[in-house]
Amino acid sequence: MDEKLLVRRAQAGDFEAFTDLIKAHKDRIYGLALRLSGNSQDAEDVVQDTFLKAIDKIDQFRLESSFGTWLYSIALNQARAMLARRKQEDLKPIEEYLPVRVAADDDSGGHGHGSHGLFEWKDPEKLLEDKELRQAIDKLIAELPYQYREAFLLRYDQGLSVKEIAAIINESEAATKSRILRARLALREKLSEIFETRYDREVS
Amino acid sequence: MTGKCPEYLNDLNDYLDGTLDQATCAEIQRHLGECENCRIMIDTLRQTVTLCRGGKPEPLPPALEARLNGLLKTRWEQKFGKRPG
Ligand SMILES: [Zn+2]
Repeated sequence: MDEKLLVRRAQAGDFEAFTDLIKAHKDRIYGLALRLSGNSQDAEDVVQDTFLKAIDKIDQFRLESSFGTWLYSIALNQARAMLARRKQEDLKPIEEYLPVRVAADDDSGGHGHGSHGLFEWKDPEKLLEDKELRQAIDKLIAELPYQYREAFLLRYDQGLSVKEIAAIINESEAATKSRILRARLALREKLSEIFETRYDREVS
Repeated sequence: MTGKCPEYLNDLNDYLDGTLDQATCAEIQRHLGECENCRIMIDTLRQTVTLCRGGKPEPLPPALEARLNGLLKTRWEQKFGKRPG
């Protein structure tokens, strides 16, 4: 059914219309919450708070964006609020994840001496099917400082543009870009460490 | 590696995401042809995103799904009142 029609029905008090509206977004929001929070308990709380909030604010939705985008920004706010409450910010600063020279910000590039081993990664597509590796990757993402994790996931997991993310997180586009890049470099370093160990294991 | 290497680290993401201007793109491509380290860096950065992208969405745990239905219904009725049907 037409989204606008469903929204109007929901705003008039039709619960079925509301559940129809959120149905398409449930799994996606749970997936994002899971990756942002790094654990299923917190992710469940975020999903629950998001939909309760959506009920509270349904009259305020003006169809200026799609319902999904609207729901999405609510979810992000809930995730931030939840993580702020849990004070998960006592994580290591991003610099500890970056190649030495990038972290030092001396503009000399992210590769070369500072960077972790530069070698080809074999069959990344095949690696995706490896459950153990998937879990390791989820853990890497969960360990990134929140603001980097958020920027990275919104860009590549959710496919938003830099401009859209900058608006959502209320930062300049330059700062947003820098967060995304640093997150990406940090994850590359950590993956490189994992693969180095793996390949060694295979060879020996 | 050449002296050009360090210059474009900040452009890497734009290059990889296809949002960089043509001229700089061409410059980077030329450099990649002659610099093994940068080529591997670019490849592995690209693969990083492939590997870190979630893949399929996570289905809601059934217990949450069940709890959610009740919770939302209750909140809805608090807001709009009980409706027949
Ligand atoms: Zn180079």
